[in-house]
Amino acid sequence: MAKIGLYLCECGPNIADAIDLDRVAAEIEKDGKVAGIERHKLFCSADGKKFLAESIKKNGFERFVIAACSPKQHEGTFAEVASDVGLNPQMFQLVNIREQCAWTVPDKEQATGKALRFIRAAVTRVQYHQALEQKEIDCNPDVFVIGGGIAGIEVALRTAHKGRKVFLAEKGELGGMLKERGLLFPAMEPAGDFLGPRIDALRNNPQIELFENCKVKEVLGFFGSFVALLETQEGKEIELKAGSVVLATGAQAFNPKELAEYGYGKLDGVYTADEIEKRGVGKLLTESAKPVKSVAVIHCVGRDKLGYCSKMCCVNSMKIARQIREQSAETEVVELYRDLCLPGKGYDRFYKETEAKGVKFARFESVEVTGGDSGLTVKYKQPGGTGAELAVDMVVLSTGLAANPSNPELADMLSISVDESGFFVEEHAVLNPVSTMTEGVFIAGCARGPGDTRDTIVQASATAGKVLSSLVPGKRLQLETRTSEVSEKLCVGCGTCVTVCAYGATTLDESRHIAVVNEVLCRGCGNCASACPSGAAKHRHFTTRQLNQEVTEILK
Amino acid sequence: MADKFEPNIVGFLCNWCSYAAADLAGSNKLEVPATLTTIRVMCSSRVDPVMLLSAYLRGADGVLVAGCHPGDCHYQTGNYLARRRFALMHKILETFGLDSNRFRLSWISASEGKRFSEVTNEFAEHITKLGPNPLRKMPFIE
Ligand SMILES: Cc1cc2nc3c(=O)[nH]c(=O)nc-3n(C[C@H](O)[C@H](O)[C@H](O)COP(=O)(O)OP(=O)(O)OC[C@H]3O[C@@H](n4cnc5c(N)ncnc54)[C@H](O)[C@@H]3O)c2cc1C
Ligand code: SF4
Ligand code: SF4
Ligand code: SF4
Ligand code: FES
Repeated sequence: MAKIGLYLCECGPNIADAIDLDRVAAEIEKDGKVAGIERHKLFCSADGKKFLAESIKKNGFERFVIAACSPKQHEGTFAEVASDVGLNPQMFQLVNIREQCAWTVPDKEQATGKALRFIRAAVTRVQYHQALEQKEIDCNPDVFVIGGGIAGIEVALRTAHKGRKVFLAEKGELGGMLKERGLLFPAMEPAGDFLGPRIDALRNNPQIELFENCKVKEVLGFFGSFVALLETQEGKEIELKAGSVVLATGAQAFNPKELAEYGYGKLDGVYTADEIEKRGVGKLLTESAKPVKSVAVIHCVGRDKLGYCSKMCCVNSMKIARQIREQSAETEVVELYRDLCLPGKGYDRFYKETEAKGVKFARFESVEVTGGDSGLTVKYKQPGGTGAELAVDMVVLSTGLAANPSNPELADMLSISVDESGFFVEEHAVLNPVSTMTEGVFIAGCARGPGDTRDTIVQASATAGKVLSSLVPGKRLQLETRTSEVSEKLCVGCGTCVTVCAYGATTLDESRHIAVVNEVLCRGCGNCASACPSGAAKHRHFTTRQLNQEVTEILK
Repeated sequence: MADKFEPNIVGFLCNWCSYAAADLAGSNKLEVPATLTTIRVMCSSRVDPVMLLSAYLRGADGVLVAGCHPGDCHYQTGNYLARRRFALMHKILETFGLDSNRFRLSWISASEGKRFSEVTNEFAEHITKLGPNPLRKMPFIE
């Protein structure tokens, strides 16, 4: 039997006054299971640790039990002492006779009895402790970006520029909402001129690996060691590993179909701003191919339904309105707005320029679009209650941005949340706006909430900075040592452990018909060990045997 | 009162919530029964019904399993699984001729030191009233 030493900590008066340590020592000695018992006033002090280390060495103890405070307080301290004297850090048991005995049982005799039960359980348990290896892995500095809109592209380019390997998964084609834009406010430069060179840079960067038309099926792991599973359109699965994950899944133009008052989808000549841009804001023609003579652009479509102002749609409406005026000076354009939201630098000037191009502005409280033989009628109520009516050939609905519908699924995978509108929730809305509650998972662009291209790029730069500063190459990660393992002999391949593991750490090896544990992913909860019907899954340091030994000793 | 019945109660506490609550009860000098001896597990899901049965067969007068509140498990869903695993525990105890109240499953968070003290005292009182585990006297076959 291994040589076990028992150490009793007085913790100043904390333990010594509440528990009769002399009696404890005498009784444990009588049990004959320990090779030596020593006491100290303060084991966690520098002097106490030195005393402990020297005593273990001098006596040649192979394992030890220390009756002191909570393992939550000093398990690490004594594990270090164990390592220092050349013992495996699992080769001791810290017994909590302070918080869970001395301080909770006022009667000294009863407290002493309880301490004895605790210590006997530990003396028995420690004989069954097994050495465990502290594994370390290199922190993976690679970056996994989800979403190939401008936010994802910028994060990829910026982190790749600093030497990081980047994987970018896009469910469709690159470019996001910008790929179908004509001109971009406020500079009125062609979106293609802006996006094209960036996509080329992305494609030509050897540090960046692109996965277009790919679905993210699963992301497992944690900061410094994520494992993602992608699926291509053809159903092929691709596994990749990265140290951080960036969510750049963007947003999408709100679809006003469900709002009956606009007649969208029912009336000819009613379009969304998004559609008009996709068609091209050139010479506009009616359905019967006649030139459009009058247009009403309605703002804030979906704002109440979405529950927020999307910040970019007022300026976007003006971008469309002024282009129509530039194409044909005879076309009347009226913008019906509720509030003008012009938050960006230079946006007020943009509004004045738009007005100077002959675009009319009128304020409304409520609006309704109806259709007749001669065209469309826009009835609206002005502030103050007076009604007004416009007869137009075309209506453009300026809609806001709705959250990407795949956000909740991704949030689930990464243990973060989405808000009531479906956007990812930041770690802190003001102080940590691009990181999330899960370390190593970041957000960029409209995935966080609506914004224009400039907002998106500002955020993407911030995100790239965060990724670069938190994931420094060469950093080492210590893995959990008290993980689970599966006995090949006992496992029947039933897969129960695979179902209960919240971290996807257990998988079935189809060829051998047994379960295998991925030690990098396992967090050591022990759930699989309880679930396993054959006793094959074992939770290290909390094995059924070790726990049963404790129980048996307590009940003796 | 020399022969007053002193129960022997085993408590399995999850490291992240209930074990921390037990420590907090101590820091706040709140009383916890001397008759309760605790065992630390990382999650309530580490405890399984067979482990508990063997505790009763070895004479435990009561067994407490305590973990994080539903939704708060450090390992996401461990306590939900624990709850499901123990759903039949009361019935099983009855088939062994044991009062089903000898088993208790409680959710006690890391900040609920007071609750830990209350739950354990109340449980110990109850077990004292129930008297010794009738299986105590039976020989246990390993
Ligand atoms: C009609 C309209 C006009 C606009 N006009 C202008 C303008 O003139 N000027 C301006 O500054 N801004 C304009 N904007 C805003 C601009 O488009 C956005 O600010 C910008 O596109 C946001 O970029 P993003 O990368 O955050 O999101 P997105 O562009 O939405 O890109 C997100 C990408 O992620 C992909 N993705 C989503 N989910 C997944 C998933 N689960 N897995 C993999 N990939 C996924 C999407 O397919 C998409 O490619 C306009 C927006 C709209 C709707
Ligand atoms: S090791 Fe714990 S019990 Fe001992 S002196 Fe330090 S704090 Fe007190
Ligand atoms: S102990 Fe088991 S259930 Fe828990 S994380 Fe590890 S493999 Fe998964
Ligand atoms: S639950 Fe046990 S027997 Fe079933 S696959 Fe997992 S390790 Fe094997
Ligand atoms: S960690 Fe407390 S119940 Fe799972």
